[in-house]
Amino acid sequence: MKSGNTTSSAKDVRNFQKSVRYHVKYSGGKAWDDASQGDIYQAVALAVRERLIDGMLETDERYKKEDAKRLYYLSMEFLMGRALGNNLYNLGIFDLAKDALVDMGIDIEEVRGNEVDAALGNGGLGRLAACFLDSLATLGLPGYGYGINYDFGLFRQEIDNGCQREKPDHWCSEETPWLIQRPYQACIIPVYGRIEHFQDRHGNDNPMWMDWKILVGVPHDMPIVGFGGKTVNYLRLFSARSSDEFDMQIFNEGDYFKAVEQKMSSETISKVLYPSDSVEVGKELRLVQEYFLVACSIRDIVRRYLANHDTLDAFADKVAIQLNDTHPALTVAELMRTLIDEHDMAWERAWEITEATLAYTNHTLLPEALEKWPVPLLERVLPRHLQIIYEINRRFLQQVSSRWPDDGDRLRRMSIIEEGETKQVRMAYLSIVGSHSVNGVAELHSELVKSSLVPDFYELWPERFNNKTNGVTQRRWLLKSNPLLSDLITEAIGDAWITDLDRLRQLEKYADDETFQRKFLKIKKANKERLAKVILDTARVEVDPNSLFDTQIKRLHEYKRQLLNVMYIIHQYLSLIEDQKELTVPKTYIFAGKAAPGYFMAKLIIKLICSVGEVINKDPRVKGQMKVVLVPDYRVSLAEKIVPAAELSEQISTAGMEASGTGNMKLAMNGALTIGTLDGANLEILEEVGQENIYIFGLKVEEIQQMRDGGAYNPLDYYNQNPDIKRVMDGIGSDMFCPNESGLFKPICDNILHQGDYYFHLADFQPYVEAQDKVSQEYRDRSLWAKKAILNVARTGKFSSDRTISEYAREIWNLRQGV
Amino acid sequence: MEIEDKKDGNVLIVKILNKRLDAQGATDFKEKMSGYISSGSHSIVLNMSEVDFVDSSGLGAMVSVLKLLGDGGNLVICGARGSVMRMFKLTRMNKVFSMFEGQREAVAALSK
Repeated sequence: MKSGNTTSSAKDVRNFQKSVRYHVKYSGGKAWDDASQGDIYQAVALAVRERLIDGMLETDERYKKEDAKRLYYLSMEFLMGRALGNNLYNLGIFDLAKDALVDMGIDIEEVRGNEVDAALGNGGLGRLAACFLDSLATLGLPGYGYGINYDFGLFRQEIDNGCQREKPDHWCSEETPWLIQRPYQACIIPVYGRIEHFQDRHGNDNPMWMDWKILVGVPHDMPIVGFGGKTVNYLRLFSARSSDEFDMQIFNEGDYFKAVEQKMSSETISKVLYPSDSVEVGKELRLVQEYFLVACSIRDIVRRYLANHDTLDAFADKVAIQLNDTHPALTVAELMRTLIDEHDMAWERAWEITEATLAYTNHTLLPEALEKWPVPLLERVLPRHLQIIYEINRRFLQQVSSRWPDDGDRLRRMSIIEEGETKQVRMAYLSIVGSHSVNGVAELHSELVKSSLVPDFYELWPERFNNKTNGVTQRRWLLKSNPLLSDLITEAIGDAWITDLDRLRQLEKYADDETFQRKFLKIKKANKERLAKVILDTARVEVDPNSLFDTQIKRLHEYKRQLLNVMYIIHQYLSLIEDQKELTVPKTYIFAGKAAPGYFMAKLIIKLICSVGEVINKDPRVKGQMKVVLVPDYRVSLAEKIVPAAELSEQISTAGMEASGTGNMKLAMNGALTIGTLDGANLEILEEVGQENIYIFGLKVEEIQQMRDGGAYNPLDYYNQNPDIKRVMDGIGSDMFCPNESGLFKPICDNILHQGDYYFHLADFQPYVEAQDKVSQEYRDRSLWAKKAILNVARTGKFSSDRTISEYAREIWNLRQGV
Repeated sequence: MEIEDKKDGNVLIVKILNKRLDAQGATDFKEKMSGYISSGSHSIVLNMSEVDFVDSSGLGAMVSVLKLLGDGGNLVICGARGSVMRMFKLTRMNKVFSMFEGQREAVAALSK
């Protein structure tokens, strides 16, 4: 028996086949002989869905009977990827399905290849949410994801002449077999309008929300099965629909086209996911999207709670809501509005419930990434919510003022409303004030939240702040994506690691075992060969599976410093062709990642990577010792092919800028060694794997801070004093990599040399080169490398999202396991 | 806008017979109600038991009628249910109008 599969009888196989044939005929409307690969995929998925629905109904019944406390994870992004393989593994029927299909003359891998990724997220934040859902279900916790059913997920990336081109990603939400539409649970959501002050029956001021428009949110549920199949929770995604009622009034006036336009405009709200780094300040549609998610969620959550309870008194005992970043921060105002306006609750009691229910996860330290919304925009879109935010702020500042009397500067710093030419609502502050828990996502990050990001709030409420280091689900990132390694691990230590990743520690004793090392390296090689084929098919570059696979796979952003990697590659190249230095080991530099469509510098770095690759890959003097490739359209399913094949994991962000990272965890879990800065969760990876099994280099957070504060950093000093740096920068600035587009990469040089090199590339260059040299030296000793890689796998138990979710459940949500 | 009216003592009972009170019917509703007020009806029960949907224009029209009645008159609501009741709460109009489940209670409240 292989990992994660239960033995199946011939009867089970026949039943599965029967179900697949049934769905080809009655769901797809096709004769078996006419069915395409796509039809077969749909039918297989629908056959699996039957089991998911059975499990989901049973699970819901169990929760109801227990009156279980439920957790709602509100997130604008859920980067789910493909579901079929994951569902088969978690249901324990992968081999059953495989055997059933083989018997029908169908290859399960081809079937799986037909599934489109559900790319409803940008990167780490969305993928984290997806891993959390897997862990919640596996741990038997009543936890649900709440998000938006975007018609178009993150754009599809094509590389055209080395440049990124964005294509719409229509992930077929309407045809996907994984979503169950729930039109009868649609929510009516008001938006826009104005406040009219009127006296209530007792002569008191009563602000009334008038002249709103209506949106309708239709829920769609994606079942989420935990490993073992006992618990099936779901991800609830809302689609925006126009209100029939609202359309009717225009329709009745005889203006058919206006009615259709109105319908289209309402449905725009769930049309597209905004790429990160591109949400311009004041982007109205994004604000409406955020409100749409929040309002639909709160309405749905309150409805479900009231179905089993007569009053709202026990709301916070039965409901926990986690805000994934500030995107759902309006939950604070919406829950207050619901309790006060719709359920006649007194402010004080409503506030108690709101605070006790909500918790907030911070994901960034970059000041420019902290959300703010202009007051005039909020007033237009959500007039009643703005009133409530003002009242929350008034009461909060009273509290601050009574603790620190006569400290006007502190009041200004801590106010939810930022003063200025245009007043802004600080969403992070709103989230902190309205939540009983505020957490960062790695130990270092959580410390920086307290000491640098919001020290005033930490001083006021130290008990509110805590850390929950991110994690990833080993079911997707090891069991499913790396079946060869999974089988080797299971063969050695049994399969308990699938639900208890700390068990991987037992692999330590195999780290020096030559036979195990040989098997381990053989598997890595097989995974590299599989990836080499993908690279050839997609990037049209032939790479050598015997070379060191050095990978940097993540969103393109200057702080993540793909540029530092490219600078090192150029340095290697020039050493080779100009200094005639032989490389210690042949290397393949693999990049994958998307840049936000409007992010000029990130897109130019993509072009640079491709151009450098174009030159190096064709240069006969390199003799195949180096290859550089950008694999297009980075997404979950591609990551699942790169991660198992990676040998070196580039985690080289400027210290203090990466909140946690989760790619670093996936890669280490699959036996890639990390080369990285002391940033995000790299510190914890260092602690776990031991310093001899990781390559740490570069400036630390406090050193960078000191250099910034003292104005001590001058990149030109490095340029003038280090001939290697000078040669690399001159190479980028010259036409060496852009012979047909003179000066193309000059903005990169200008940015580094003349605009302060904000991300400290040059300061970290030499230490990075030295760390890379050490990597190359050690890689030559295959046994030593295998030992280090095995120890990395063995020591990544901490980075399971099961551990993260257990901590959230115990310390923030007060959720009972195994209901 | 179809409405039915009848007197119960000093109280005028107005029942909306349409399923919807929205932008299309709001002006008509307001005009008819103004007619009742100018003919001397100042204690009015609005029976909404037949109404399934009310939008912000419909609610706005009710506020206008209340303003028109001024301090000397009164308009109370009965029979609002489901999404209609939700809309009253959402706008906080339930705090402005007296709301009753049944017509009899509404009339009794105005007859005091």
